[in-house]
Parts: sequence; C-alpha cells; structure tokens
Amino acid sequence: MFGSIFSWLNIILKRDLLIAFRKSSTYITPLVFFLIVVTFFPLALGPQESLLSSLAPGVIWIAALLASLLAVETIFSDDFRDGTLDEFFISLEPSFILVFAKVLIHWLITGLPILFASLIAAIVLYLPFESFIPMLLSLILGTSFMSLLGALGAALSLGRSAILSAIIVLPFSIPTLLMGTSVISSSLTNQDFSGFLMIMGAMLAIGIPLLCLLTVEALLLNYE
Amino acid sequence: MLPNLKVENLSCVRSNKVVFENINFEVFPGENLEIIGSNGSGKTTLLRTILGLIKPEKGIINWLDENDKFNDFRTFECFYQGHQLGIKNLLTVYENLQLTHGAKGMDENKIYECLERVGLMHINELASNLSVGQRKRISIARWLVKNFKIYFIDEPFSALDDEATSMIEHLIQELNSKGCSFVITGHRPSQVKANRISI
Amino acid sequence: MGSPPLFYNWSSKIIPWLGLLTLLVLLIGLYWGLFLAPMDYKQGDVYRIIYIHVPSAILGESIFIFMAICGFINVIWRAKISGMLLKAAAPIGMSFTLLVLVTGSVWGKPTWGTWWVWDARLTSTLILFFIYAALIGLHSTIEDKTKADRAVSILSIVGVAIIPVIKKSVDWWQTLHQPSTFTITSSPSMSPDMYIPLLVCLIGFYLFFAYMLTLNLRNVVIERESSKNWVKHVMDQESK
Repeated sequence: MFGSIFSWLNIILKRDLLIAFRKSSTYITPLVFFLIVVTFFPLALGPQESLLSSLAPGVIWIAALLASLLAVETIFSDDFRDGTLDEFFISLEPSFILVFAKVLIHWLITGLPILFASLIAAIVLYLPFESFIPMLLSLILGTSFMSLLGALGAALSLGRSAILSAIIVLPFSIPTLLMGTSVISSSLTNQDFSGFLMIMGAMLAIGIPLLCLLTVEALLLNYE
Repeated sequence: MLPNLKVENLSCVRSNKVVFENINFEVFPGENLEIIGSNGSGKTTLLRTILGLIKPEKGIINWLDENDKFNDFRTFECFYQGHQLGIKNLLTVYENLQLTHGAKGMDENKIYECLERVGLMHINELASNLSVGQRKRISIARWLVKNFKIYFIDEPFSALDDEATSMIEHLIQELNSKGCSFVITGHRPSQVKANRISI
Repeated sequence: MGSPPLFYNWSSKIIPWLGLLTLLVLLIGLYWGLFLAPMDYKQGDVYRIIYIHVPSAILGESIFIFMAICGFINVIWRAKISGMLLKAAAPIGMSFTLLVLVTGSVWGKPTWGTWWVWDARLTSTLILFFIYAALIGLHSTIEDKTKADRAVSILSIVGVAIIPVIKKSVDWWQTLHQPSTFTITSSPSMSPDMYIPLLVCLIGFYLFFAYMLTLNLRNVVIERESSKNWVKHVMDQESK
C-alpha cells in the first residue's frame, strides 16, 4: 500500500520537476520578481544604511509573499486543463497526499529560489549577518505555508481569474507576514525569536493536513 | 459470474435540473458497455459520477471486491480517459507514457512495446509537436501498460482516421478476451460489440 | 426547516414577532446604556459608544464562527440549507465588522487622539473584514450558487482559524487597546450599572442578527428555488 503511494508520488515529482525544468520561466519568474521588488525599496526610500536595515525584515517578507503568490494559479490549472488531474482522483491512492505533492513541487520551484534570492536581498539591504539564519528559518516555514494556502486559493479559483486566487489568499497570509517579520526583527534586537518560529511551525503542522483535505474538496467542486 | 460494476437507479441533479435519471447497468468481465447520447446529455457527468468525482443525487454504485462482495467503494484500479487526454506538451512521447499513474513500476521494455503496438515511432519527440491523432495514439498506448479491470473511455472514436478506428476496435476485442471491460461513450453506436444504453 | 416551502411559511409567521422583540430589546438596551447608565470617571460620555462597539465586535466574530460551523456541515454532509445560511449570514457579519471599525475609530479619536492605530486588536479586526470580503467576493464569482456555497464553506473553515489569532493577539502584542470587556471566567471589571445594559444591548444585537438572517435566508431560498412551483404560487399570493 505505502510502496504504491511512494512510487506514484515519485512519478508526480519527477514529471512536474521535469516540466518545470524544461520551462525555465516557472522558477525564474518568482526569483526575478522578488529581486525587483526588493530593489524598489532602496530606490524609493533612499540608500541610508540604518533605514534600510531596519526595514529589511518587512521588505524581504512582503517581496517573498508576493513572489510566492505569483505562480500560485499554475499549481493546478495546467493539470486541470490537460486532464492529468483526473488521474489524481481516479487512482486508489488518497487524493490529499497527491495535493501535498503538488504543494511540495510548488514550494520547490518558487519557495526554494526565493530562499536563495533572500540572501542577496539581505546583503543589499544591510541586514546584519547574525539575522541571516532566523530569516532563512522564517522563510522556510512561511513560504511553505504560503504554498499550502496558495494551493487552496488556486483550487477555489480554478478556471477563473488569476487575481482572484491572490485576493482570496492574501488576507489569510497576514499572520504569516506578522510572524515572519517578527522573527527577523527580534533577531535584530537580540531578542528571543523562537516563540514566533514555533507558532509558524504550529500553523504549518495544522495547515498541512487541514488545507490539503480542504483543497481536495475545492478541486472536486470543479468537476461538478 | 458476478459483474465487476453494478449501477442501480443512478440519478444526477445539477442546479435544479435533472442531468440523468434512473440509470441501471452491470459490467461483466470481458463485456463492454456503450453509453449513447448527444452533446450535453451528461455522458461525461455519468462517467465522473460512477468514478466518484461527483456525488450522485440518488442511486447505488456497487463495485466487486476480491472476496466477491459488493461495496460502494472501489478496491481495484480503473483506467479513465476523458476528453482531455492527459498529455503533457513538455514531455516526450516516451515520458508521457512512463510518467503516468498506470505505468507505476513498469519497466522500459514494456513501455517501448506499448508504443510500438499503436504505431508511434518518434518516441523522443515532444508531445507539443504531435498531431491530434498522434496524441490520441499515446493515450491508447496507455491502455496497454497494464490490464485494468474496467476502462472508462470518453468518446474514443472522435477525431480518428479509419486505420486508428479499426486499431482501437481490435485492441478492445483483444483486451476483452483477457477479461477487461470497456465503458465507452459516443454520439452513435460504434462497431464495438457492447451492451448499449442511451441517455 | 427541512423543506424550503415549509421554512418560508414558518418564517412568514415568525418575522413580525421577531422584529418586534428585537426592536424592544434594542431600544431598552440602548436607552439604558446611552442615557441612564452612569458616566465613566475617566472617559466621560465618550465611553457610551461601547454599547454599540462591543456588541458589534462580538457579533462580527461570532457570526464568523456561525458561518464556519455552517460551512463545516455543508462540506461534510452536503446539507444545502447550511450553505444558504452561510450565504445569508456573510453580509450581516461583514456589516457588523465594518461597524466595529467605524465606531472604534470614532471612539479612538477623543480617547487616544487618533483615528487609527496599528494595534493588534484593530489590525486583526481589519483582517476579519478582509476575510469577509474575500468570502463574499469568491461567492460572487461562481455562477452555480450551490457550488459557490461549497467553495465559500471551504474558505470559511480556514478563516475561522483567524479568530483565535484575534483573541490571542492582544496578549502577544501588548499595545494601546484595552483588554477584553467580557470574559466568561472572571467577574466583570465594570460596575453592574454599566455592565447590565451592555448585556441587554448584546442580546438585542443577537436578536437583530436572527431577524436579519431569517429575512436574508428567505431571499436566498426564493432566489434558488425560483423555478419551482411553490415559489410561483407564493409570489402570486403575495402580489394579490
């Protein structure tokens, strides 16, 4: 039973990563978008080092949030259009595991590039070196949660406007934004940030089963 | 012998309108069923309802399990091919066959064999470069990777030339002899030997 | 309340009485709170806005919980009526949340000296407002209304996770906003003269919600079932 799930997960991961690899825009677009948004802040606010380093947590997080929402609409739309999504529900494997696989793929092609880009952003925004690790940790937890939320938004707005999924998802992403920026800001002032990380971890832990199950329901709506 | 699938009294209502009503049929191993209906008569909805994508308003869908008992859930894999064939443009012909649910745990030679059977030669060509007919052949090759108990095929004979049509008829016959059943839809009765219902 | 025509007939009978009761309780509560209750020694008469502010805040949140429960029932058991309830409750909840934000900033100007502060309580209420907007927006984009109900049900279940965040946020970011007025576990910090009219107002607001919900649900039911015979029958009768 589990062997069959893993070999199917393996196939989905291989297929989607291969497609993403052949269509480089899927992983380059969020990356470039992130860097452009980050660049705008010094241009708009002026290049003072103290100002930028105090604003860096917020800037990095806003850019990460928007960038990870950028490709959200494509999580299911291609699969739905060409009929591969049907396989998910016809197969005997539980569908929420397959939704989880799609979320994981989305994170690998948007969240992971953003993590690397955030290092560049941190350097150009003069974020102190000690804050790099908290920033990365908060981004890992936060962007994964965004991918989960994004999947639900994408499933609910499948076949409708791409903007709709962003509008659905954005209000729900505010706690992530608050926690994520708090992690980096607390590390700037040498305060304990583990509490915020734990809340983010808890949100992710509850979110994975809950949001995957709800996403399955939302996807099935599109077949009726 | 017991049927693999038994549908009783199935009805579907969508936004206060009846899509289909009182559908009854049985699918025995090695026998086929053809659902005839015009455009928009709910053929696709019926297939999706049977496969559990849509909850039926009324009626029972019974599947046979290994212990010869009927359940309202399915314990064996089925094959489903909708209007969209489930073909990825950015994958090659070979990958389109290899990276599907049915081909889980299949070895390379079996996949080559299947592609050869349906007459697909350029297996390293990207699917985006193929014609409609050739894409259809990929999806037909998928029938062969494994023997499924029941194949649900939505309009298998649309957009096909005579050669491909006779190939499909031949394949259905061959799979029937191995105990596989086909549930297919169409606008008018096809040449396939099958029980027919119209909706 | 199982069948739509039954509900429609039943609600026609109950609506005038419910409306009357609502009006009565609201009038008593508001008159008591706005005119009879003693003045606050620190804030003066300004504090009296709590007789609108606090009940609408509680309503805004509890309507959301109500919607999430309806949503949960709709997703699990596919009960269409709960989807309609959800749809009927959403605009009411959104209006109450808007009322909280407006009365809050009217109150904030004389007491804090500013219309708006980026305090956790205020911000999370604003988020709640956005979530209401997202739910209503999503509903309007899906043509098939039964499907729209289910989509919104799914989203409301996610949204209800935000309510504990709102509750907890005051403790997480200790800022301007005072702690909750109502707590179930401990005795109120206000004097009973101020507290009891507030309770009456709260009951009045809940009744108002029930009244509005029934009215809205009637509209939703009529709209959904517009092709059915009983609706035509009812419409003929009412136009006579």
